Amino acid sequence: MKPLAFASALAVLALPAAAEDITVGFAIAQSGWMEAYDTPAATAAKIRIEEINANGGLLGRKIRWVEADTKTDRQQSARAGLQVIDEGADMMVVSCDYDFGAPAALSAEAEGMVSFFLCAEDVKAGIQGVGPNSFSGSVLAAVQGATMAEWSHAKRDAKTGYVLLDTTIEYNKGICTGFDWMFPQLEGTEIVGRDTFKNDDASIASQITRIKALPEEPDVIMLCSYIPGAASAVRQIRAAGINSLILNGSAVDGSYWLDATPDLSGFVVPVQGSIYGDDPRPEVEAFNAAYEKATGSRPASSYAYPGYVLMDLWSKAVERAGTLDGNAVTTELEKMKGEQTAFGPRSFTNELHHQNSAEMQIIEIQNGKPAVVENWTISNPVPLDVLLN
Amino acid sequence: MTNFAQLFFDAASLGGLYAMAALGIALIFGVMNLVNFAHGEYIAFCVFALIVPSTDAVAVMLLGRAPALILVPLILALGAAIAIASEHAVFRHLRRADPVAMMISSFALGFVIRNALLAAYGGRPKAISLWPDLNTPVRIAGAEVPLLQLIVILTTLLVVAGLAALLKKTRLGLEMRAAAENFTMARLLGVKANVVITGAFALSGALAAAVALIMATQTGVADVRMGGQVMLVAFIATVIGGLGSLPGAVAAGFLIGAASVLLQAFLPLDARPFRDAFLYTLVIVCLLVRPQGLFVAASAKPRV
Repeated sequence: MKPLAFASALAVLALPAAAEDITVGFAIAQSGWMEAYDTPAATAAKIRIEEINANGGLLGRKIRWVEADTKTDRQQSARAGLQVIDEGADMMVVSCDYDFGAPAALSAEAEGMVSFFLCAEDVKAGIQGVGPNSFSGSVLAAVQGATMAEWSHAKRDAKTGYVLLDTTIEYNKGICTGFDWMFPQLEGTEIVGRDTFKNDDASIASQITRIKALPEEPDVIMLCSYIPGAASAVRQIRAAGINSLILNGSAVDGSYWLDATPDLSGFVVPVQGSIYGDDPRPEVEAFNAAYEKATGSRPASSYAYPGYVLMDLWSKAVERAGTLDGNAVTTELEKMKGEQTAFGPRSFTNELHHQNSAEMQIIEIQNGKPAVVENWTISNPVPLDVLLN
Repeated sequence: MTNFAQLFFDAASLGGLYAMAALGIALIFGVMNLVNFAHGEYIAFCVFALIVPSTDAVAVMLLGRAPALILVPLILALGAAIAIASEHAVFRHLRRADPVAMMISSFALGFVIRNALLAAYGGRPKAISLWPDLNTPVRIAGAEVPLLQLIVILTTLLVVAGLAALLKKTRLGLEMRAAAENFTMARLLGVKANVVITGAFALSGALAAAVALIMATQTGVADVRMGGQVMLVAFIATVIGGLGSLPGAVAAGFLIGAASVLLQAFLPLDARPFRDAFLYTLVIVCLLVRPQGLFVAASAKPRV
C-alpha cells in the first residue's frame, strides 16, 4: 500500500501545479435567504471572468472558479471559506453581507489571500473588520446617504429633513450616518426630527403618528432601511397621506417590490448603475444585456454590478503585480486612484478598501415608474472618522 | 404625541394582531401542552399562498386575485388545512411524547416549511398589492386611523367573542375545555381526542391565516421570515397570560402591543432603538411578580 499512498500523495501535490488555471473561490450563499443577493453579484463576477478568458486570460492563464455554499449561516461561512482554499483558490469572493461573509474572509486573510465582499457597504468589511487583504466591491452606505442629502438640497431645494432609521442592521446606520454628516453642513437645512423602527415591525403606526405631529411636513424623509421593512414603511407612510420626498440607500433599488405601494411617486434611490435601460453609460447597458444572455433575465437590482467591478479591479491588479501573491495584489489595488470601470471610477487606499465617494445615478420613481434623473458625486469624500464613528 | 385617541388606535390594532397570534398558540397548548413554534411559518405560508410560486423577483398574484369574499374564507381554510396537515403528519405521532420533544419537533416543522417556501419562492422578499385602499386613513375622535387598523380591532373583538361563544355554547367547545382541564379524564368520559385536537389545530391555523392577511395588507410584502417576530411576541403573550389560558393570551397580547406602542411614543430618541429591550424587561418584571401568568388556567392550579 505504501508506494500507492506515496504516489497518490504525489498526484495530489502535483495537481495544482499541473492545472495552469487561476482559481477564484466563491464562498457565498447558494441557499437560504442571502442567496437572492449573492447569486446575481456572483453571476456578474463570472461574466467578467468569461470576458477575461475570452480575451486571453489573466497572466496568460485561464481563470476557473470553485464554489462552496455558506447556506446563509455564519458557521457554514467559515467552513465554505476553508473548502474553497482546499480546492486551490487563489483569491476569494465572499457573501454580500459583512456578518455572513466575514467568517470566510477571515480564513482567506489567514492564508494571506485577497478576498472581496460581493457587495458589503459597511466599513468593517475590509481592513477594519477583517484584515489588510480584505476589500469590498461596492460603495459605502454612508456615501449613499450623503449623496441623497447633497442631491436633494441642490436639486430639490430640501431644507427640512426627517431621519427614519431601521436599527436592524449596520448597513442602515451607515446610510443615516452619511446623511447626518452631509445634510446639516448644507446651507439653510435643519433635521426636524428622527425616529427608529425595526425591519420586521408589524406596524410603524406610532412612528407615522410622530411625523404627522410635526408642525410642517418635512421636505425629505431619509429612510435608512432595506426590503422588506422599507417597502412596508413606504406603504404605510404614503397611506397616511405623507407626501415628503422619500430618500433611500441603494438597497431598495429594483422595481420588483413596487407593487407594495401602487403608483408610488417621490421616491429616490442612489445606485451604481441603472438596471432600467436608461443609464447614460453604454457599458452599463452592455452589461445588462450580457447578464440577460447569461441568466435569461435582466438584473433585478443594481446589486449585481459590484460583482463585475470587483473582478475587473482584481484582475487589473493581478496583471500589474504580475503575480497572484495576496500582498502584492493588495499593494496594486491600493495604488488605484480613480481607476475607470464600467460603473464609474474606483479608488482604494492603505486605510480604506471601500469607496468613500462615488459617481451615483439618481433613480426617481414617479407614478410607479423608476428612471434615472441625474448623476451625482458628493463634493467631499466621507471622512474616515465619520465612517468609523 | 399627546393625542390619546391616536395612541389608543395604534396600540389597540398592534395589540389585536398580537392577541390573535397568541390565541392561536394558546389554543393548541390548551389541548395538548404543545408550544407550536411552527405557528410563525403558518403565517408566512398563508401570505405566500397569495402569489404564484416562482423564484422571479416580481411577484404575480395567485389567490390574491380573488375578490375578498372568496379570498378571506379561502385563506382561512388554507391556514386551517396546513395546521391540520401538520398535526396529522407530525404531532399525532408524538402525542405521548415529552412536551420538550414536541416543542423541538415544532421547531423542525417550522424549519421544513420555511425552507420549502425558500425553495419555491426564492429568498428575496416579494411585493403584494393586497387591498391597498384599506390603508387609507379615516378621521375618528381627532385621530387619523387607517381603515385596516379599525378592521383589525373589530376582527379581534369578533374572533374573541366568537371563540368564547364556541367554547361556551357548542359541544366541540365543551369538549375542548374539558380536554384542556384534564385530557385523560375527558377521554375517559367519551371525549374524542382526535376531534378535539384536530379542531384546535384548525382554529389555530385559521387564526394564523387571519394574521397573515392583516400583515400582508399592512406591509405589502411577503417574506419567509415575516412570521418570526409575531410568533415570538405571541409566545411571550401566552406565557404572560398564563399558559393554556385563552383570555390570558388575548389580554397579554393586547398588553404587549400597547406597551410596545407606548414605549415607541414616549421613550427618548437615544433609548428608542432599545425599545424591545425595555419591552422584554417589562415581561421579566411581569413574570417575577406573577410567575404563573396573569390568568391562571384551571388546569394549572393544584387540585387539592
